[in-house]
Amino acid sequence: MPSQQTLAQTEVDVVVVDDEETIREGCRMALEGEGLRIETAANGALGLELLARVRPRVALLDLRMPGVAGIDVLKRLPEIDPRIVPIVITGYASVESAVDSMKLGAFEFLTKPFETTQLLDTVHRGIHHWGTYAPAQSALAPRRAKQAQILKSQEDALLKSLEAAEEYAELGGTPTALADELRTLEMQADYHTRQLGVVQKKGKALHDFVADLHAVDAIVARHLSKRSALIQILLDIQSQKNWLPSHMLMWTSRRLGVPMGRILEVATFYEAFSLIPQGRHQVQICTGTACHVRRAPELLVTISSLLGIKPGQTDSDLNFTFKQVHCLGCCALAPVVKVDSAYYGNPSMKELKEIFARCTKDAQAEGEN
Amino acid sequence: MPRLENPKALVALQVKAREQRAALPQRISVCGGTGCVAAKASGCIEALNAAIARHDLSSKVEVQVTGCHGLCERGPIVVIAPQQYCYLGVAAADANEIIEQSIIEGRPLDRLMYQVEKKPVTSQDKIPFFRGQQRLLLEANTRIDPRNIEDYLAIGGYTALEHALFEMRPEEIIASVKESGLRGRGGGGFPTGRKWETTRNAPGDTKYVIVNADEGDPGAYMDRSLLEGNPHSILEGLIIGGYAIGANVGYIYVRQEYPLAVENTLLAIGQAREQGLLGKDILGSGFSFDVEVHRGAGAFVSGESSALIAAIEGHVGQPREKYVHTSVSGLWDRPTNLNNVETWANIPHIINKGAKWFASIGTKTSSGTKVFSLVGKVRNSGLVEVPMGTSLRTIVYDIGGGIPGDKRLKAIQTGGPSGGFLPESMLDVSVDFDELVKAGSMMGSGGMIVMDEDNCMVDAARFYVDFLAHESCGKCLPCREGLRQLLHILNRIVAGEGREGDLELMDELCDTVAVSSLCALGKSAPNPVRSALTHFRSEFEAHIREKRCPSLACVSLFHYEIDGKRCNGCSLCQKNCPPNAIHGEHKKPKTIDQESCIKCGACETVCPPKLNAVSKVAGRAEPEDSPLLRQKTG
Repeated sequence: MPSQQTLAQTEVDVVVVDDEETIREGCRMALEGEGLRIETAANGALGLELLARVRPRVALLDLRMPGVAGIDVLKRLPEIDPRIVPIVITGYASVESAVDSMKLGAFEFLTKPFETTQLLDTVHRGIHHWGTYAPAQSALAPRRAKQAQILKSQEDALLKSLEAAEEYAELGGTPTALADELRTLEMQADYHTRQLGVVQKKGKALHDFVADLHAVDAIVARHLSKRSALIQILLDIQSQKNWLPSHMLMWTSRRLGVPMGRILEVATFYEAFSLIPQGRHQVQICTGTACHVRRAPELLVTISSLLGIKPGQTDSDLNFTFKQVHCLGCCALAPVVKVDSAYYGNPSMKELKEIFARCTKDAQAEGEN
Repeated sequence: MPRLENPKALVALQVKAREQRAALPQRISVCGGTGCVAAKASGCIEALNAAIARHDLSSKVEVQVTGCHGLCERGPIVVIAPQQYCYLGVAAADANEIIEQSIIEGRPLDRLMYQVEKKPVTSQDKIPFFRGQQRLLLEANTRIDPRNIEDYLAIGGYTALEHALFEMRPEEIIASVKESGLRGRGGGGFPTGRKWETTRNAPGDTKYVIVNADEGDPGAYMDRSLLEGNPHSILEGLIIGGYAIGANVGYIYVRQEYPLAVENTLLAIGQAREQGLLGKDILGSGFSFDVEVHRGAGAFVSGESSALIAAIEGHVGQPREKYVHTSVSGLWDRPTNLNNVETWANIPHIINKGAKWFASIGTKTSSGTKVFSLVGKVRNSGLVEVPMGTSLRTIVYDIGGGIPGDKRLKAIQTGGPSGGFLPESMLDVSVDFDELVKAGSMMGSGGMIVMDEDNCMVDAARFYVDFLAHESCGKCLPCREGLRQLLHILNRIVAGEGREGDLELMDELCDTVAVSSLCALGKSAPNPVRSALTHFRSEFEAHIREKRCPSLACVSLFHYEIDGKRCNGCSLCQKNCPPNAIHGEHKKPKTIDQESCIKCGACETVCPPKLNAVSKVAGRAEPEDSPLLRQKTG
């Protein structure tokens, strides 16, 4: 039950905006059963009005409605009250647009048909974030303006200095003094370029980070946010990144409402998952029985010696990961080595050296770009 | 494409597909199974297509990419229709000659054919490897493109489904499966009909059917080949099973290590849905059924039914106690029927040709055929399908062509990590569910690994225990700790540090693990050790008492030496030694630096046979600075 203090701020916990009556009434029954107060609106226009009037803590918005759609309500929500936590409801076919709505600041999305437990879980988490959840855009806008101002004034200052130097030269100032001045200016410019580099690097890291989270959203949406699809979702992340980065796991945990502990339980149980970064090239040696009796152990030490890493290890420049697998299912070619997606039956030393050299060359070419 | 609304539309489509294929009799079939792809089949396909375009034959002949033919050792395999010329080990460079000689002139290309006594064998079914088989399930693999549903329809695909839906009641289907005597092909050998009946009669409206394609046995790939080569046959079997049992949802649980199988299965499901063979109201019968694919994330124990179900639910794949069977309480606690890929693939045949016909194949208690993956030290390794009751000798010598390099057969291992070793003296055992158990092994899913005199049985037993100890899910103590201790002892023995009493201790451990483990993984885990101890006890004793590996296979108990008198200093070994452990000037005899040697055997492999200067020597090498060696070299 909400405390007395929060009651004073808002009378209604949840507003549901959906054109389907079954959804509206279903939500009402489920949420009122939990002691939450709920109001509903049957279309977008009524929804905007209601939201402005009651200012709930959580707004459940159907994306597809005739007239003013949920996405429009979502866009205007910060103007009404930035503290409201928007949760988007979407049908099976429009999960992609759900991902878009996340970009517009939706806190979470529910795919129809959803279970009551899923609804309650999501709404409770939304309520918990009320007031502290601000979509990224609105927080960024003032900063962006400030940044632009700083950049502009720096540029102006540099230009002014250069103009002054020009004037100094025209006046016939001593060349050494001018050179000194210019060197100082150059050093300052260098310093700023370096700083810019650091900022760019940080920016790129942040950008990649966000891209990873979007990737998780897309994968989770593809599996209809089903908790039972956890293994399938992790497999998709693994195949995209070659390993399971912790921020993606945390995001998956949040999106699915599955505790991190269970995700790690699954991720450490199955062979297919790796919690440490993997090399760009996966070298797998099959040590199934058929390969074992046909010299796989000898081949294993050969590859180990060529790559300088043991099975289970990754080399220091993240080029190769060497893995021992139980059966690749092409026993007639034993012993089998798989490099990325290509299979090699009983490769000779020469072949192996060529394959690995090719991989290393690829990596170098990539590095130069 | 419009959905097939009724049985008539299905028949019409089958006829149309058949006529289309009859109109273009000339066809080049290239095996696109993983084995052949690894042997560079894709290059062949491209080259063949290019050659066809060059000769302007695109309207007369087409290249068809089929599933696995089975003789994977000799891939890529190419078959020319209608003459059925079968070419083995084809390279891209052969493409032009194949088109010019076999397509344009219609003559066989002897050079690429299987040779018996230096004479080419004209067609695939006359090759000894294929002649000895009865290919009920695998035969279609060679005739259809698994990615094209019309190919499957052209050979009468989905006729059994139509028959089952419109002319049989669910009870009749179950009775028919019972009468056929079909037993689960995944290893247990439980009568399939009875399992279906239990699930059908279990209380509850929602039921599930599952295809177990988590083929975890190292050294076995039958299921992979069927799923890759003929996914529709498994789908058809599954839909019939769903109808008979009263399930509307099916799952196919397939290992993610089999990417092509996942891809082809997903494609097949999509095509079947499009045609109305999956989904709502199949063929207008009122029966609705759909399938989902779950990829296994790599855990051997996930092949166990309750562990597999846990994995589909999104949990870690740990088995549970089964005082309540999964057929009563399985997936989401609903009645669930789980069968192996090969079991499902048999169903359409039973419906089409009748239970009596199926029961007439094989032996009295084990009917039908069984696909084995015949691998290891055998000439023609690959997939072999024979009637139940065929002797091991027939499989290994007549079909498999015997052991390469005139070596002696030492043992055949069947049943995967839960099976046992059968020594040479048991070659005449007939292979069916019950006979193999009597002989101290088991059928398992059909792995058959041939070992020769170069393979050490202690090492082989250690290999299986290592595998199982690693794959134990860790839920129950006897399996988790018992296997770890067994492995510890075996590791000591192969390292030459075995002790008196080790064998007795292992006997005792085996008994404990077998009796008290939770699931079949632990209960059967001691089998390899037990059978190795029964049949090859002397090898264990040699390791322990004499610190000697009779087969020179255990790395700690041998080393390589170069015979200075035979070595002509060609430096081949030196060039091929990964750790650069071979020293000596060019044209002078070489020596091996034993400290850096990793025993990869590269030197032995590359040393020209006429010199044969590199050999394995029992025992550890003496260090180079030993006083004795210094005396010798003076």
